[in-house]
Amino acid sequence: MGSVQTDQVTMTSSTASRSYLGSAKSVLLLAAGAFMLANMYLIFMWAPTEAVMGHVQRIMYIHVPMAWLAFLAFFIVFVGSIMYLWKRESRWDMLASSAAELGVVFTSLVLITGPIWGKPIWGIWWTWDARLTTTLVLWLIYVSYLMLRAYSSNRSQGALYSAVLGVIGFVDVPIVYFAVNWWRTQHQRLVIGTGSLEGSLNADMRTTLYFSLLAFTILFSFLLWQKISMKRTEEDLRSIRYSKELTRGARIER
Amino acid sequence: MKEFLRPVFLVTWKDILLELRSREVVIASMVFAVMVVVIFNFALNVTPETVDILAPGILWVAFAFAGVLAMSRAFVIEKDQGSLEGLLLCPVSRDSLYFGKMLALFLFMTVVEAVLLPIFAVLFDFSAFSFTLIGVILLATLGFATVGTLFSSIAVNTRSREIMLPVLFFPVITPVIIGAVETSTGAIGSSVNVIGVGRWLQLIAVFDAVFLVLCPWAFGLVMEE
Amino acid sequence: MIALITTPANNIPYLFAAYAVTWAIFFGYVFFTSRRQHELEQEVRLLRDTLERGRISEDPDASN
Repeated sequence: MGSVQTDQVTMTSSTASRSYLGSAKSVLLLAAGAFMLANMYLIFMWAPTEAVMGHVQRIMYIHVPMAWLAFLAFFIVFVGSIMYLWKRESRWDMLASSAAELGVVFTSLVLITGPIWGKPIWGIWWTWDARLTTTLVLWLIYVSYLMLRAYSSNRSQGALYSAVLGVIGFVDVPIVYFAVNWWRTQHQRLVIGTGSLEGSLNADMRTTLYFSLLAFTILFSFLLWQKISMKRTEEDLRSIRYSKELTRGARIER
Repeated sequence: MKEFLRPVFLVTWKDILLELRSREVVIASMVFAVMVVVIFNFALNVTPETVDILAPGILWVAFAFAGVLAMSRAFVIEKDQGSLEGLLLCPVSRDSLYFGKMLALFLFMTVVEAVLLPIFAVLFDFSAFSFTLIGVILLATLGFATVGTLFSSIAVNTRSREIMLPVLFFPVITPVIIGAVETSTGAIGSSVNVIGVGRWLQLIAVFDAVFLVLCPWAFGLVMEE
Repeated sequence: MIALITTPANNIPYLFAAYAVTWAIFFGYVFFTSRRQHELEQEVRLLRDTLERGRISEDPDASN
């Protein structure tokens, strides 16, 4: 009975601190919304139209920041995985798996917006260019990470296995990049043009890009926080179920 | 060193004996690889003009698929009979267990490839006995076995393990496949680019070295359960 | 350099499509995570209440 009571105490105190954090999370959500609105103003109203590509170049202001944040997300997965394998604390697993999910969402969007931008500029949706191909392989690795978690037979096993893949996958990325890069230089497959999509950016475009990166970073932080707190709630739920079973057990003993 | 190698060879020998009795892995993957080649021949309509470009790709798709089939069996046999627990109880380090299983898998895959290569050479009319080709096959197969042993031990404990293994394996192994196909194109085709081949072999060797360190470590963690 | 397939004026639908897809996916993602979070919090509250009630009714010290 005593153990149940201490459980209860820790539960309420953590809930109190969490509701305080919850309001901080709302502030972050508001900040993300405000920055995004300002970002859209900068992108569509303030930034000058690119001379060669025209309006479609404005996709760059969301495409590039999302790609950077996707790489940041996968780096967080790597750090979280190493820390989980070292400390075996579930919070590191929560961090790694939340970042992996966001990384997959961001990479998916990068893979969707890229071809939409490439089609009017290159005339083709997709080219097996070094960066595109590496991004696709990266996406596949982290999709398999999420699948591994979904298909593992219990939670601690899923955490352990995915942490192993979080390390292996990240170490693999530079090797994939080298391979794809050399492979690309041996086969000049790009049908039309070799210019980089970014083109030349003037000072205002650069400012817009950096502001967009800031706005997306705030959005990313909010989403990561939201995802982690969701996983915490799931763990809370499990611990309550466990303590419920404890009281039942106590009753049978009595 | 000798104390380390003895249990490794014992584990490998156990797998070889098992394979000699059951013949589950080598024959099955061999037949499967031949079928892959036949299907690809119809799908891509290989002609004497296009064979130089297509043959290396078909070769490595067949090797990779046959490899996945072989590695999927590596831990299923341990798991189904509950013999994995027995192996883990043996006074053998996790590293020896890993290298033992890896060596067995490497041998099985090499045997399959050694039989398939002459068949391919006849079907697609190229010289199979080039040192470059044999070198890259050995290096790439080592890479397959290194990563495959770890992923096989992971996938076998998940639900729907038949799907999980290729899903885990193929994205990570991409650089090896690219390098192997490029090198084989150099070896089979008329244009032999020595510098290019050397660079690709180095890349595969780096892949092998990195994962020969990482995978035993990861295997030790996976087997803790 | 870049060879243009379309003139700058008529590539606006591509711009629109890219932003529409991005925002649709982001809002969808936030909506589904928020809903799941809400469900989970409700379940926590429900379970805690049940647990609390069960403890009072069956506690022998409380009845004596």
